Amino acid sequence: MPDCWRRNLTTVNLPNYFLADLPPAATLSASMITEACQSLKRNRQQYLATRTTYNIVQVITVLAGEWLREDSPFRRMALKHGPTQLGFSRETLTRGLDAFFRELTAQRIEALVVAELGHRQRLDAFSSSDHEGQQMRAAIVTGPELMVHVAAGNLPNPALTSMVLGLLARSAQFMKCATGTSLLPRLFAHSLREIEPKMASCLELAEWRGGTAQLEEALFAESDCVTATGSDETLASIRQKVPAGARFLGYGHRVSFAFVSSQVLSGFYLDRVISRAASDVTAWNQLGCLSPHVIYVEHGGDADAKYFAALLADELKAREHTEPRGAVPEAVSVGITSRRGIYDIRAAHSPETQLWHSEGSTAWTVVYEADARFQLSCLNRFVYVKPVRNLEEALQSADSVRNKTSTVGVAVPEHTLGEVGAALARWGATRVCPLGKMQEPPLSWRHDGRPALADLLRWTDLEFSG
Amino acid sequence: MIAELTSFAERLRQNISSGVSVEFNSIALELFELQYRFNIAYRRICDARGLNPTRVEEWSRIPAVPTAAFKELELTCLSSEQRTAEFHSSGTTGQQPSRHFHCAESLSLYEASLWPWFENHLLPERAGGCPPHPRLIALTPPPAAAPHSSLVHMFETIRRQPGVQLEFLGRVDGDGGWGLDLESAIEGLQSAAAKNQPVVLMGTAFNFVHLLDGLTERNLSFSLPSGSRVMETGGYKGRSRELSKPELHHVISERLGILGARIVCEYGMSELSSQAYDGAVGSTHNSELQTRTFQFPSWCRVKIISPETGREVAEGAVGLIHLFDLANVFSVMAVQTEDLGVRRSDGFEMLGRAVATEPRGCSLMAS
Repeated sequence: MPDCWRRNLTTVNLPNYFLADLPPAATLSASMITEACQSLKRNRQQYLATRTTYNIVQVITVLAGEWLREDSPFRRMALKHGPTQLGFSRETLTRGLDAFFRELTAQRIEALVVAELGHRQRLDAFSSSDHEGQQMRAAIVTGPELMVHVAAGNLPNPALTSMVLGLLARSAQFMKCATGTSLLPRLFAHSLREIEPKMASCLELAEWRGGTAQLEEALFAESDCVTATGSDETLASIRQKVPAGARFLGYGHRVSFAFVSSQVLSGFYLDRVISRAASDVTAWNQLGCLSPHVIYVEHGGDADAKYFAALLADELKAREHTEPRGAVPEAVSVGITSRRGIYDIRAAHSPETQLWHSEGSTAWTVVYEADARFQLSCLNRFVYVKPVRNLEEALQSADSVRNKTSTVGVAVPEHTLGEVGAALARWGATRVCPLGKMQEPPLSWRHDGRPALADLLRWTDLEFSG
Repeated sequence: MIAELTSFAERLRQNISSGVSVEFNSIALELFELQYRFNIAYRRICDARGLNPTRVEEWSRIPAVPTAAFKELELTCLSSEQRTAEFHSSGTTGQQPSRHFHCAESLSLYEASLWPWFENHLLPERAGGCPPHPRLIALTPPPAAAPHSSLVHMFETIRRQPGVQLEFLGRVDGDGGWGLDLESAIEGLQSAAAKNQPVVLMGTAFNFVHLLDGLTERNLSFSLPSGSRVMETGGYKGRSRELSKPELHHVISERLGILGARIVCEYGMSELSSQAYDGAVGSTHNSELQTRTFQFPSWCRVKIISPETGREVAEGAVGLIHLFDLANVFSVMAVQTEDLGVRRSDGFEMLGRAVATEPRGCSLMAS
């Protein structure tokens, strides 16, 4: 542990280092943004552009190691302020942050570099894979000078991932956070500043309301790569503002669901499957694109879908004690209450609907519906369980979200995974993972089916004369 | 017809018409028992919640059904042959509307319920025995064009009262939406101004926007005779541009010369048979400086329920509005609305339709 981490371990007051540290009343101006970008670029040239991948990976892994320590001041601050500022309970935050930082090992980062770039030193020097060597060629990749991230902010992991990838790309980065959501990106940036201030000087963060034209124009004008997460309309509007020469990477609205095979619905497996399903519903309070809206349960197992739903309800009830959902805004409560009202009425009139939910709160809700059509959940731990004859019926039922699906979490026997995966790939899913891991994508996850790191970079090919 | 319900309705109608206050709890429990017996869809809901007349001893525990249930179920004690009218909610185009079925007896009770409370708030001089003779103008279509609108039926009921002069100036457009006969409206306002005859303008918020935008386009404004007033209700339903309430009232004052204290807001819905008002015309409570609270008549009670806990909220806190309307005899008296309100000691403050969060994944939140 570097000495700098030993400083101020008990009380860390975040200094005004990033724009996002300024008091909420502070007004940002276009010229402040332009100046910040120019100074980021200068710092990058001086402190980041020529750094080795080895060194950057070392810094990232030390950083991750610190965040995983219980006495890390930044982790403590995240767990202290996160529940009020972000709406996740301490336990939910702990699980989410641990899952994220555990991914940041040297081995996994190297695996990402090799998988996407074909050579571990591709970012450092001209290098050749075996095939390239045979063909007398080499290549190097270069990151953008200034990368802008427009972060969504419902959960922090995507923003943190963007920053890690940006560091690997040796880019200066400006992260624009949605109002009220910058806490974790800020803490992450401050933690980097503690450990390696020069690298942190290549990062800037600010909060403002999306669509603030004057600030965004100034920001985009300085950038040569913009990544954005948002609704189709948000992305379209950002895309228009990005200068012609800059690369734009938009990650649109995606949904996810789960499929449970009848073959895992018995005895010992059943408990485990239920527990994993509950983990996916509770992780980040189901607020991410990777969280399941619907769990499809295949006919023919010892437990039918309705029984599965009842067991899942029991498990969610138990999780509420160990990992509470936490408070939600009034509009969310209203949304859940209104939906419960509808299913309560339907359940009273037909066995084709059944409802289980927390008493005296909106903390969790399970709706069983015989109608297999995909249904968007109102999230915050509100999940549908629907019976299907087989995977094919599940996919037909989810046809309305066919081109909008990110992850399908599956609980199927090992020997059928290849076949199930192939069917899901043909259908159009971009990620198939074990149930229980839906909200824990690996670092090398290809977001929306695109390479995470490689998409950010520019290749230069070098051909040797024979 | 179910004799017990008819007799209940008749008793209540007489009480309301004669101004006799009702002993709410016992009458509510009596009605609950009848509705549990005769409204099959409602009984199923109560049974599913484990509640029935033997287990409910207080009106506030009577199971409330969400207004959405009026869309999916036939929440009525009336058989199909007994239904002579039905009121629909005015939702967004393409949505299935709520349906509230009526028969002659229930309409008669609806009419008896709406008139005295309207008169108290919009024509208080008349209620006090000193009848003014204002000209009432409804900006809605007439009943023949909008047979399923409870609001239009309400205006028609008012029109039929002795000594009331009311005309309808709205129309139903080709797409089924409500428009306004602007020329007639302008003519009506001009003639009232010329004759110095006070006007009572009544309609939905979007009716008023249609009128006010029309006046603005023609660069017209009126200073309507003193004693003129406005009754404004409901939302916009995408039928016009939307204004906040203070903005709407400001434009009304600007274009029609009717000040805030003479603008009365009404809160009603097709699923109910009673209405609430946020003050009487010209009353001191109606000043713009104060928070205006809505009040229902004595035969309708309100509870403000926390959407998170399902329990009644404290004074000053926000929740979903639950209503217990004794005049809903042949349907369901206990209704859970989708409107948010603030509990106030003398009524409730309206915050408007709760925007139920649209389902969304991570990326819809980037703003």
